[in-house]
Amino acid sequence: MDYAKRCRRISNAFYNAGLEKAQIRDLTGAAQCLKKSLHFDKYNIDARNLLGLIYYEAGETAEALVQWVVSSNLRPQDNRALDYLEEIQGKPGQLEDESVHIRKYNQAVQYAQTDNSDLAILQLRRVVEHKPNYIKAHMLLALLYIGREEYTKAGQSLYKVLQIDKNNPRASRYMSVVKRNTRQGDVERKKLLTAFSHREMQDDDVILPPTYKETTGWLTIINIAAGLLMGAAVIFFLVMPAREQQLQAEHNQELTQVLEQVNQRNIEIDGLEADAAALQEEKEAADARLQSIIDENGGMLSQYQRLIAILQAYRADDFQTAVELYSDLDASAITDEGIQTVIADIRTDMEANGYQVLAELGNRARDAGNTDQALVYYQKSLAIHPDNVQVIYDMAMVYHARGEEDQANELFGQVIVGYPDSELAALARETRGY
Amino acid sequence: MIDFEKELEQFKPSLEVEQIEDAVMNMDLTDMTDILMKMVEESQERKE
Repeated sequence: MDYAKRCRRISNAFYNAGLEKAQIRDLTGAAQCLKKSLHFDKYNIDARNLLGLIYYEAGETAEALVQWVVSSNLRPQDNRALDYLEEIQGKPGQLEDESVHIRKYNQAVQYAQTDNSDLAILQLRRVVEHKPNYIKAHMLLALLYIGREEYTKAGQSLYKVLQIDKNNPRASRYMSVVKRNTRQGDVERKKLLTAFSHREMQDDDVILPPTYKETTGWLTIINIAAGLLMGAAVIFFLVMPAREQQLQAEHNQELTQVLEQVNQRNIEIDGLEADAAALQEEKEAADARLQSIIDENGGMLSQYQRLIAILQAYRADDFQTAVELYSDLDASAITDEGIQTVIADIRTDMEANGYQVLAELGNRARDAGNTDQALVYYQKSLAIHPDNVQVIYDMAMVYHARGEEDQANELFGQVIVGYPDSELAALARETRGY
Repeated sequence: MIDFEKELEQFKPSLEVEQIEDAVMNMDLTDMTDILMKMVEESQERKE
């Protein structure tokens, strides 16, 4: 037998050993055997493919791909490695995800070795969440937990590792530490003891069969009745209250919904009422403004009409009418600046000449015996030119003639006090009797 | 008892997907058959 054949045989023997170990999930042992197998025969395709599978199962995807790529190069046809590669590369995004998780693990290793165990644990937890078969990540996580004396968490990670790789030596070593610190070992020892604590059966031991009693017809009826009663009791005490509670809960929920709807409607109604009140106020204000505009005497519209009449009277050279109209004009109701200029011109003319016309009209009315009208004209005249002592005196005389002494005396007093050196003051004093 | 620091040192980074090509190219595929064949060749050369 030549050397090559011998090497192939040895390689095959290691492959068989590796396969057996892989079948009982001893991945570490299997990987060792398969590596040895490949040392003897690099063309042992089955050994290489199985080694790739074991790497893949342990979460080492890149290592697995290396083995399968080499395998497919050594035997480009009729090779299962081609199927494995196709399956991994065929799923969109899978390789990218694997790459991300491996990179995160490497980062976690770096964190852990630079005393950043918090960050390392966070990173590793994310990795094992997405890649639960990643043995190295679980192992590092377990070690970090052991370092923090969080043995229960470490135990959980190690348990997962041992589920994937039963005889992982490092995981077993860590697990023994965890068990020592969590007393899990004692529990297991007790279980082991109790499992074999039963007495072994002897030849003369008798097994008593369960007894059988014959039942009579009456007993059967009583049993059935008792069963029915128990069933009814179960329904009454267990099923009914639960159903009642459920109905009550549904009813309460419906009631809550209805109340919420009512509450919502009330809020909407309040809002609408507030809007209505605001609109009503706006309407009233608008009405008031409109009323002030169209009011017959003091309104803006009537003042404009009066102004137009004044201007028409001027155009017709009817100064008396213009004066009479001016005496009733409320210039403050007209706010237009252009028109205010016109009013100022009229006011100047009235202050110069208009008050005398009104005084004259008052005199004429007094002479005609119409004292009421006379007083109105006098008032209007004084409104334009308040310092006209003659008009004040004439008014006083009208009141005196009417017997309205209070008003007369007040006006006489104004003449006497305001113009003490005038002839009219002397006449006023004489009329009052001093 | 576990020596935490020592254990931690044993953790090495995993092979990344981007490194597969280099890993394949640099893989030493020499097996026992190659070594033996080379030994046989060398011994024959010495005899000659």
